[in-house]
Amino acid sequence: MIIYFENNITSDWTGYQKLINLVNDASKIKDENIIFDFAGVHFFEANLCAVLGTMIEILENENKKITFQNFNNSVQKILCKNEFLSNHGFEKAIDHYDTVVKYRKFNPTDDEGFNTYIKKELLSKKDFPSHSEKLGKKIMQNIFELYENARTHGKCNFIHTCGQYFPNSLEKQFNITIVDRGVNIKENVNRFLKNENELSSCDAISWAMQKGNTTKSGNIPGGLGLDIIFEFIKLNNGKIQIISSNGFWEYKRGVTETKILENPFQGTIANLRFNLNDKSYYSLAEEHSENWDFTF
Amino acid sequence: MSTIIIREIIKGDIAVSTSDGDLIHDLITDYLKKNETVAVDFEGISIMTTAFLNAAIGQLYSNPTYSDDFLNKYLNLKNVAKEDRILFSEVVKRAKEYFRDKDRFEDSTNSIINGD
Repeated sequence: MIIYFENNITSDWTGYQKLINLVNDASKIKDENIIFDFAGVHFFEANLCAVLGTMIEILENENKKITFQNFNNSVQKILCKNEFLSNHGFEKAIDHYDTVVKYRKFNPTDDEGFNTYIKKELLSKKDFPSHSEKLGKKIMQNIFELYENARTHGKCNFIHTCGQYFPNSLEKQFNITIVDRGVNIKENVNRFLKNENELSSCDAISWAMQKGNTTKSGNIPGGLGLDIIFEFIKLNNGKIQIISSNGFWEYKRGVTETKILENPFQGTIANLRFNLNDKSYYSLAEEHSENWDFTF
Repeated sequence: MSTIIIREIIKGDIAVSTSDGDLIHDLITDYLKKNETVAVDFEGISIMTTAFLNAAIGQLYSNPTYSDDFLNKYLNLKNVAKEDRILFSEVVKRAKEYFRDKDRFEDSTNSIINGD
């Protein structure tokens, strides 16, 4: 059975909606062999390979076998460069411009594997960080906060990640997407709040994005990681998108937007966009003093 | 005074996971339980997250014995990178809120959501 990808796919509400609808359509098909046909796709935002990888995990879990066909040359090239297609019978391609952050899927217990991946994929790039070491460090901190959040809350089998760097754009944008198909935010938040009236997916994501809100109940406090990311993205003029169940939540340039998706996604997609050409100076009062006498 | 060198314990310069933070927490409490002063040395740590610090430091507040005065007396933090210092204030502030009255906190969170 062939599933047709009919349009370009980008990291926006429309793009996520298309991918989530496709995985829902494919789930309903009885045929075990499913072919993803990319003839209609002339542009596929490479970081979304993390979503595509999760779609394959969902379908393989339903005993389906996925193959690909009819790639446009440029789409195939980027998906070979980031090694997404390596597991599907395609040759790796060399990333001459050093702009891809390779697609990988990690077992959530493999924190060393993810640490090595981020170091190798980001720090080895000649243009990273493009402006200052401090900015690069902040960006890496944000990525690790997000990854740890997925590990802790998703209770998933795999975490899929992929990124793309656009060094020629004015803002030198860098996108990274982290996806898990574990327990979604709506389930986690509603289980924790035990409210009679369940929060919608969008409201549950909004709740989780507020400082101090956490679904943790043990001896390790939480409720800071997503806020750290959110505050940094505001300063950096970047973008955050969270898609969980049928909720879409986005912050960019001072505006938060939520939308309902036609179909639920079995897990959580988090996409961060950073501007590496950010010349802001991230001034934090405690950074100025030479001596630090911390008191509890 | 004994010193816990983070980099040696976690075998690297990236202090980001809850599990590594948990490991450090357990080492710290080994000293605190005996009322022994301990230093925690962050020399050479390049990246640190609140997830790590919540487990390593914030978790200490789960034990009511470890008051601010107790921790100021027995726990010494060393060589924290300038840009990471803000994380300590945030994590400690958050831990105090979280443990002050866990039940009351959870109730108040529900009230905010319900708008009552």
